[in-house]
Amino acid sequence: MNELEDLNELVDLEALLAESQVDEVLDELETELIGLKPVKARVREIASLLLIERARKSLGLDGGSPSLHMSFTGNPGTGKTTVAMRMAQVLHRLGYARKGHLVAVTRDDLVGQYIGHTAPKTKDILKKAMGGVLFIDEAYYLYRPENERDYGQEAIEILLQVMETQRDDLVVVVAGYADRMETFFRSNPGLSSRIAHHLEFPDYSAEELELIAQRMLAQMQYRLSATGIAALREYIPLRMRRPHFANARSIRNALDRARLRQANRLFGQKSARLTRDQLMTIEGEDLRASRVFS
Amino acid sequence: MGNPADRYKSGVMPYAKMGYWDADYVPKDTDVIAVFRISPQDGVDAIEAAAAVAGESSTATWTVVWTDRLTACDLYRAKAYRVDPVPGSPGQYFSYIAYDLALFEEGSIANLTASIIGNVFGFKPLKALRLEDMRMPVAYLKTFQGPPTGIVVERERLDKFGRPLLGATTKPKLGLSSKNYGRVVYEALKGGLDFVKDDENINSQPFMHWRDRFLYCMEAVNKASAATGEVKGHYLNVTAATMEDMYERADFAKQLGSCIVMIDLVIGYTAIQSMAKWARRNDMILHLHRAGHGTYTRQKTHGVSFRVIAKWMRMAGVDHIHAGTVVGKLEGDPNVIKGIYSVCRDDITKQNFERGVFFDQDWAGLRKVMPVASGGIHAGQMHQLITYLGEDVVLQFGGGTIGHPMGIQAGATANRVALEVMIKARNEGRDIWNEGPQILAEAAKWCSPLNAALETWKDVSFNYTSTDTADFVPTATPA
Amino acid sequence: MRITQGTFSFLPELTDKEIRAQVDYALSQGWAISVEYTDDPHPRNFYWEMWGNPMFDLKDGAGAMMEILACRKAHPKIYIRVNAFDSTRGFETTRLSFIVNRPAEEPGFALKRTETGGRNIQYTIESYAAQSPEGRRYS
Repeated sequence: MNELEDLNELVDLEALLAESQVDEVLDELETELIGLKPVKARVREIASLLLIERARKSLGLDGGSPSLHMSFTGNPGTGKTTVAMRMAQVLHRLGYARKGHLVAVTRDDLVGQYIGHTAPKTKDILKKAMGGVLFIDEAYYLYRPENERDYGQEAIEILLQVMETQRDDLVVVVAGYADRMETFFRSNPGLSSRIAHHLEFPDYSAEELELIAQRMLAQMQYRLSATGIAALREYIPLRMRRPHFANARSIRNALDRARLRQANRLFGQKSARLTRDQLMTIEGEDLRASRVFS
Repeated sequence: MGNPADRYKSGVMPYAKMGYWDADYVPKDTDVIAVFRISPQDGVDAIEAAAAVAGESSTATWTVVWTDRLTACDLYRAKAYRVDPVPGSPGQYFSYIAYDLALFEEGSIANLTASIIGNVFGFKPLKALRLEDMRMPVAYLKTFQGPPTGIVVERERLDKFGRPLLGATTKPKLGLSSKNYGRVVYEALKGGLDFVKDDENINSQPFMHWRDRFLYCMEAVNKASAATGEVKGHYLNVTAATMEDMYERADFAKQLGSCIVMIDLVIGYTAIQSMAKWARRNDMILHLHRAGHGTYTRQKTHGVSFRVIAKWMRMAGVDHIHAGTVVGKLEGDPNVIKGIYSVCRDDITKQNFERGVFFDQDWAGLRKVMPVASGGIHAGQMHQLITYLGEDVVLQFGGGTIGHPMGIQAGATANRVALEVMIKARNEGRDIWNEGPQILAEAAKWCSPLNAALETWKDVSFNYTSTDTADFVPTATPA
Repeated sequence: MRITQGTFSFLPELTDKEIRAQVDYALSQGWAISVEYTDDPHPRNFYWEMWGNPMFDLKDGAGAMMEILACRKAHPKIYIRVNAFDSTRGFETTRLSFIVNRPAEEPGFALKRTETGGRNIQYTIESYAAQSPEGRRYS
């Protein structure tokens, strides 16, 4: 821009938005995932930031490419991977991830067993993730201070380098429990300082979990009878109090077991004919046989 | 068939009634199928004509013979099962005829052709007859060796990937002494071509003995290879009067370290198959010049379509076959040429009437033949050639190399630069069909040989309508 | 002399941007990229040293460029080529192969002729550079 800078020059934000088709992804995120209000709000914020960045760029205002590495913290089953997938699409549509794919890994995919094993492994994953989003679940396992010779440190260093020098090629999302991530960041300030966006995934409420259950069943073409609904409503709070509760994932597991029991029940009836309704319906007893009720 | 006593009563009866027409026949997977274009004499019914073709190309003679009854004659009779009028050509019909596999000797093109095009082409009740296409059953294909090398291995052996190969035919065709001839080969290879080629009628004439030529050409090939660090080749034409002569010449080419030898279509199917076996035994690429084919492939109503010849040659086993240029000086409608190229290069050729391909053809893993585009093409057409012909093809610029005003090396360089710059642009996603001339002009700024080539041949094109065009498009595409 | 192996040897040396465009094309075709280097450019030296395994399942050219640049950093003075491999039935072979690095000086090849009977000559092509031991050529 020279001194003739026109401060009234216009950008059609609507047109930019329509052209990127990012709205579709945001809408899908809204309807596909139940709850997660703060997360959805943050995704929208990031999308707006990038859209405005594009608008600025179209007028020659260059703030340098924004850092997009993120951390997703929250308990298991709170939708981190799903949101990462949507985030990759948002970034792709806004021109910040050329291919928009998601590569999801854990420590084992990055860290080798022997000297010289880790660098090629980490680089291999990084190469595959280029142009998209690298999602590292339970990233804190990369760091094992109790073992001085742990190869995880090597993986972290390679990651850091790429996160710094190839911002345009790759977005890294580190994910895991909030408290452990906190400790991880404290011991790895280099990593922490390169993460621009922190998204916290809250646990689901009992009501949200019920909605999630209903939606999962509908997708599998099952439904709950009246006794089934009552059983589910009792089941959810009980399950939430038990150890190893993993939000939506626990619900998914409970439904899988209920399917098994339903099948067993139907088979046990030995009636030659089953109606469509029978095949689709989960009854209260299919849920109540769970250990949670004992 | 009704009552056998009636069928085999002495005398003459219509072919259709003798069992050579069966509208309900469903061809078996193991049947050889041929589709002929028939032009019956006035007053001859199309179905009877089709049945007659089926009869004359299988078991029949003009009259009933009782000796049929000593055989399972139903099996041996070819069956015409479908007759369609040719779109837009009154008086012509496509007739589909199925032949049982038992009619053919395994692995013999001579035997196959003796049946399918043996007697029947002179048959009087037809004004004209043309073999349009054939469907070979997988079971039959597996009895043929196929190309000795194939496109994949040829490229690996030459270490050349990602672009068409470049060749040229030494000119003048006749009269050069071996020493002068080898000069042309060296210049063209050093300048950037991958192959140079003997012409079809370069054999062993008074002005140039074959052995002398081989020695000089191999000196040129090896010198050029050392000068460029590339594998180079010259198609040494071993065509001769007898198989013994051809083997002698081929063996000498091998002894000299040539990677390729060449034969002409006019040596005949059996000689071609013999040379294919020799080439396979000796790890040699086998180039086929289709000399003579125009006598029977060009006219639309009579003869054999080149797509059928190409199929036979893939079975017989050649690695290169001249298959048309679209844009050059020789016959070639773009759609028909695409059909022929697909016959050479596909794993499975799909039915495509616009390209004159009547059947799906599973090639049963038979290696692929590299088509050769030769005749009146030059660097300025590079974008068209690549668009029409693709990557697995040898582009031969004879005049377009040797006729270059700055010399043969410069001519070769112009072609190679034009080729590489066009492939690079295509891979970069540019629309070479429309931007081609501009892409060439950009390269000509830093490559003076290309600049000279573009200037010299800028107005050359052979804009004639093809005679052999597909029947299922309204007009022929001018090149 | 200039060795003209590879798909683009008659063109000016490709810039990194141009190399990237070819790599992106290869990936768009579903081919795997590999990087190879050698100090023995004989036309029939088919086995250049592999700079790691071929890179399968890449979505984007950036990853391949990392390796190309790393190889060039490690071997700045010798030949490096990029290959694209197609594993589909009917090909199962290299589909594109081009040089991305070469020595400043290319001494080329000697053509050795061994004369035998009947004016027959057996030819041998020898790289001048390869007369020094491996690793000490083009230094």
